[in-house]
Amino acid sequence: MIDPITLEVIREAFVSTVREMRVTLVRTAYSSVLYEGEDFSCVLMDGRAQLVAMSKGHDHPLHIVPIAWSMRAVREKFGEDIHPGDVFLHNDPYTGGTHLNDVAMIYPLFAPGPEGADELFVFPVVRAHWGDVGGMSAGSLSGNATEIFQEGVRIPPIRVVERGRPNVAVLDLIFANMRGQREREGDFNAMLGTCRKAAERVEALAARYGVATVRAAVAELMDRAEARMRAAIGALRPGEYVYEAHLESGRERLTPLSVRARVTVGGDAIAVDLTGSSPQTAGPTNVGPAMAPTGVFTIVKAFLDPGADVNSGAFRPLSVITPRGTIVNAEAPAPCGGMVEVKYCVESAVMGALAQALDGRVAGDLKGGGNHCYVGGPHPRTGETFIFYEYPAGGTGGFDADDGSNAVRTWTESDMTTVQPIEAVEQLYPVRIERLALREDSGGPGRRRGGLGLAREVRILSEGARLSVLAEKAVLPPFGVCGGGAGAANRFRVRRGGVTLEPSPLPGKVGSFPLEVGDVVVIETSGGGGFGDPLTREVERVVADVAEGYVSIAGAASDYGVVIAQDGVDTGATRRARDAARARRVRVPLTAAERLERGAGRAIRLDAETATRLGVTAGGIVEIVNPRGAPLRAWVVDVGGDAAAAVSPMALRMLSVAGRDVEVEIRAVHSGVLG
Amino acid sequence: MFIAGIDVGGTFTDVTAVDATTGRVVVTKVPSQPRAEGAAVLAGLTALGIASADVRRLVHGTTVATNAVLERRGARVALVTTAGFRDLIEIGRTKRNIPALFVPTFVRPKPVVERKHRFEVVERLAADGSVLVPLDATSVERALDGVLDAGAEAVAVCLLHAYLNPAHERVVADATKGRRPDLPVSCSADVVPEYREFERFSTTVLNAYVQPLMDRYLSDLEAQLLAAGYEHGVLTVGGSGGMMTTDTARRLPIRTILSGPAGGVSQACFVGAAVGVRSFITYDMGGTSTDVCLVHELAPATTADTMIGAFPVKAAQLDIHTVGAGGGSIAWLDVDASLQVGPRSAGASPGPAAYGLGGREPTVTDANVVLGRIGSARRLGGRIEIDLAAARAAVADLAGRMGGELSVEALAEGIVTIAVARMTSAIREISIQRGHDPRDFTLIAFGGAGPMHALALADEIGVPRVLVPRHPGNFSALGLLASDIKHDDVRTRVGPLREQLGVLDALFEEMTIAAQRQLELEGFAPDRQRLVRSLDLRYRGQAFELNVPIGAVVGVDTIEADFHRQHRTTYGHANPDGAVELVNARLVAYGIVDKPAGEPHRRRAASDSALGSRRPVWFGGAPYDCPVWDREQLADGATVDGPAIVEEFGATTVVPPGWSGTIDEHGNLHFARRPRS
Repeated sequence: MIDPITLEVIREAFVSTVREMRVTLVRTAYSSVLYEGEDFSCVLMDGRAQLVAMSKGHDHPLHIVPIAWSMRAVREKFGEDIHPGDVFLHNDPYTGGTHLNDVAMIYPLFAPGPEGADELFVFPVVRAHWGDVGGMSAGSLSGNATEIFQEGVRIPPIRVVERGRPNVAVLDLIFANMRGQREREGDFNAMLGTCRKAAERVEALAARYGVATVRAAVAELMDRAEARMRAAIGALRPGEYVYEAHLESGRERLTPLSVRARVTVGGDAIAVDLTGSSPQTAGPTNVGPAMAPTGVFTIVKAFLDPGADVNSGAFRPLSVITPRGTIVNAEAPAPCGGMVEVKYCVESAVMGALAQALDGRVAGDLKGGGNHCYVGGPHPRTGETFIFYEYPAGGTGGFDADDGSNAVRTWTESDMTTVQPIEAVEQLYPVRIERLALREDSGGPGRRRGGLGLAREVRILSEGARLSVLAEKAVLPPFGVCGGGAGAANRFRVRRGGVTLEPSPLPGKVGSFPLEVGDVVVIETSGGGGFGDPLTREVERVVADVAEGYVSIAGAASDYGVVIAQDGVDTGATRRARDAARARRVRVPLTAAERLERGAGRAIRLDAETATRLGVTAGGIVEIVNPRGAPLRAWVVDVGGDAAAAVSPMALRMLSVAGRDVEVEIRAVHSGVLG
Repeated sequence: MFIAGIDVGGTFTDVTAVDATTGRVVVTKVPSQPRAEGAAVLAGLTALGIASADVRRLVHGTTVATNAVLERRGARVALVTTAGFRDLIEIGRTKRNIPALFVPTFVRPKPVVERKHRFEVVERLAADGSVLVPLDATSVERALDGVLDAGAEAVAVCLLHAYLNPAHERVVADATKGRRPDLPVSCSADVVPEYREFERFSTTVLNAYVQPLMDRYLSDLEAQLLAAGYEHGVLTVGGSGGMMTTDTARRLPIRTILSGPAGGVSQACFVGAAVGVRSFITYDMGGTSTDVCLVHELAPATTADTMIGAFPVKAAQLDIHTVGAGGGSIAWLDVDASLQVGPRSAGASPGPAAYGLGGREPTVTDANVVLGRIGSARRLGGRIEIDLAAARAAVADLAGRMGGELSVEALAEGIVTIAVARMTSAIREISIQRGHDPRDFTLIAFGGAGPMHALALADEIGVPRVLVPRHPGNFSALGLLASDIKHDDVRTRVGPLREQLGVLDALFEEMTIAAQRQLELEGFAPDRQRLVRSLDLRYRGQAFELNVPIGAVVGVDTIEADFHRQHRTTYGHANPDGAVELVNARLVAYGIVDKPAGEPHRRRAASDSALGSRRPVWFGGAPYDCPVWDREQLADGATVDGPAIVEEFGATTVVPPGWSGTIDEHGNLHFARRPRS
């Protein structure tokens, strides 16, 4: 048993070592994506592929959590053939990488084990985004990739340094296949130096406290994190909770890709089964085996125990099943560039399921992905190709205690800048930013409103520029919870003359749309989903929102039933408007019907009257409101049934609706028609 | 005649005065009065028995601006900005800027200017400063109608690209003054003439936000001092370590932000220069937090970008790293039963349990009392009596909740160890960040709790030398006495360095003339002025830049070579073939003030009078019978061998076994580890 003071001092030393790794990499990296963008993460791990420590706040969960898979891949391949002085590289998504640009360096250290022989000890790992890893386009990531081979060099776990001797041949081969060779080698050496510094710290710690004490501290920190997580899970209502969330695809009609999550809360453990998720696709929205568990962990941690350290102990109570060949565990050669989008979708699905065990103590949904926007073309001044790249944030969801936040990085991701300074952009690129504003009325209505998205207008000043976008939630907006409304969807459009154009049939997936001089690219990001019934929002809060311009007067009336006249709130009219709005809601009995399963997306059958009231036809998308959790999105398969609304028994489970003929509120979401 | 330095802290206001003729230094502490800082200033002088009329120069550090932002008690600000961009101040760079990873219930702090108080004017400049859309006069009048209707108490004028061409901002400012001459107006081009609009706007809005408070505070202070017979100007310390006149502090109050720890760093530089210690780390531990700063070759690390709360501030600042661990930091048990120290602090009220003011939770100070490191015979700061039983009870209660396996002394030592571990990390990180090994530096320890933990900290980091300067408890206030007036100016011109050389001379000329005029107005003849030029440079393609000092007349080859060298030092590599880009030209102008002569340390033979008493003090789980030295009585050349305690007004130095200290001719204590015998 380790004493509590030594334990705390060693914990501090671990976290401090990780922070020192960050500082060292920033100081020595060659590419600006590392030393300015800080798109990398550092971690200490142990021989059992457990995460020992990360620096909470700067390291990206989506880099860090998958490192355990990378390490397991190394162990699987090399077994006991790992020696002091060895260094391994890995980026292959199918064995635990993220996308090919994120390259992990694993730097094993050894120390005597209980038997006396050397065993793997605590050691550093760095995962860093390399600016280019080869592939079909500069920067390697492309929304047009149909196979992973177009996304760059795949590095399965390989040994690049053997007992202190670099394998020059393999390094030459790697660097020869990447653009910007000098930068790549510089970054590689910076990673190596970072691991070396961390190794000195770990060795000093072992010398000071003894190897056995450090190992005991690792075990104790894991056990404590595990115990905290188990205690938090134990407080949940046991049961099996099911939910599904969707990614957008299709050309003429929205045909969704689904992530289905079956979350079993039993005693002090959670099991998540993603069986039933869509088969892998030939587009970028696929991930390897590590990303979905990363999303699961993010949600469970956020809603159960956000304050604890991040180490593998906290994962022990979680198990995740990701069937092979699906978008959540794709096999070669599916491209994996859209890994962020899939991770978000897993998170939405797991949150929707877990909401049922949390009695709705969740938050409105988020922007659904990276919102990657590229404007590129020949620079009129130099003739070189310029790429103006931003990934603007949206609003966060409302929650029980407060409104969501406006246009900000979400709580699932690291804290990075997503829009560049206008005064820098206009010097560097042939564009002019004409507007940067909050999107009025974009926050999902609710007792607690979702945060607002932003609008950014970019005027094109040069010939030959093109627009590419990779985003989600551009058709299906971020959902509200517990009766809250959806936030506005992401929107990426082009204004030409007086006309506004959709640059692609499927919104959010734009590949090299040709722009003309004078075009304005209008980027509008999603608002967060609302929380709770908007008609119960305090009138003062709605009035304050209108005064601030977060909500328009029209929006106050239509979304919140608050009538604001010249001289303030019209109390009588507000009461009447709220009553009328309640009466207008489409509330119908929901019945169970067999044979309504389909491959992707829930199916719903409506009768003609209900369909008319909702204003939807077959192929349209509706949401069934869940007053204690996330709403279920469903595709109208058929209009003209006997029952007002019928769904499969599985869909009823997703809504946690027990019994028959429960009355639910249904809202229209989208016509389902694209282009 | 006296020069007085007053440092307002969270708990105490430290007052230091030096007799300009004899060099004699007198110090005291009075309780801080958070909403009436001026009263504490006068109370301090009275406590020292100094008549205001006998003060020749009064220098002070104030937290008025810092606290106004942190506690959101500033003025009602209106913003006038370019059409299409009123939300820029709220959207910023979309960063949370608060710890919120995995926290779905986080709420992003709103800017200090409400959305309904932001008004747009029709105008637009291009990226080269030329006019794309002329300023529309009607839109200005409409915006000002809004500003006045809103009942604004201060106005920030923030237009895109104004750093290159302030004309439109000036017109808006003049129009505002035309309608309401008394309304303070901050233009972004005046507050921070640098590019990157969000950081510039944020700084300007915060400047406007604190302006009315600072103005009122300074007016009150000046009136009270005048009534008491003090007839000279009041100087205020800025975050970059230099002094400002009240005129500057009123115009640019944002430059006083986070200036609290600056005096200590300045004083450490004076002491370091005097005793030949040129590279050191300052370790300033107070009641609620600890400030550390790396000083290399007598040049403190500086930065141009800081944050206050969740908001960026662009102003030249000493790069001081703050750790939320001080004497008042509370030891507590987390839900997983792990022992934590801080960041919550008992502060001044209720304070540590040992203060007997109602505090029940054990703090770092209580742990030191339990260990005998803080004695109960001497009153803390001359006024607070130490209650050993209360301190023991608080620590014992925590030990009980931990299962009772640890003795009270063992837990107390553990609390100190954990606090020291936090500070060890901070010092290692700031050193590595600047490319240094902390073991090559001396630790200069001050602040109420600094000398108490400095040697333990030095052991952890591996620092071989520690300097505990004279008057460590009033060190920061002392630093104010000898600081020069400092003006920071900057111009942004982004482009290849070699192409921008032509405009550089003109930019420096412009800044030089303005600085000289300003210093002359403040009474500094040309021989009391010192101007320092530097450039912010980067390689093409980088987004951030390095500050490279340059001489008055320097060739471009030398500048580039210096930049490559500095890039190598900072980042470990350089690219001698890379194209170097200019971003900013900076000028720092100093007005050199008379430095008070150092008080000679009393030289006399070591006497027993310095040995106050003996008491048991715990180190490494065992009590040692320790001598307790009275620092004021220690003679020049005297040595102190650990284990020992050195007590003085405002601070206690703890000397663990294995360390020895010597008093130098200035009265500083130099510690080194004794060679193991």
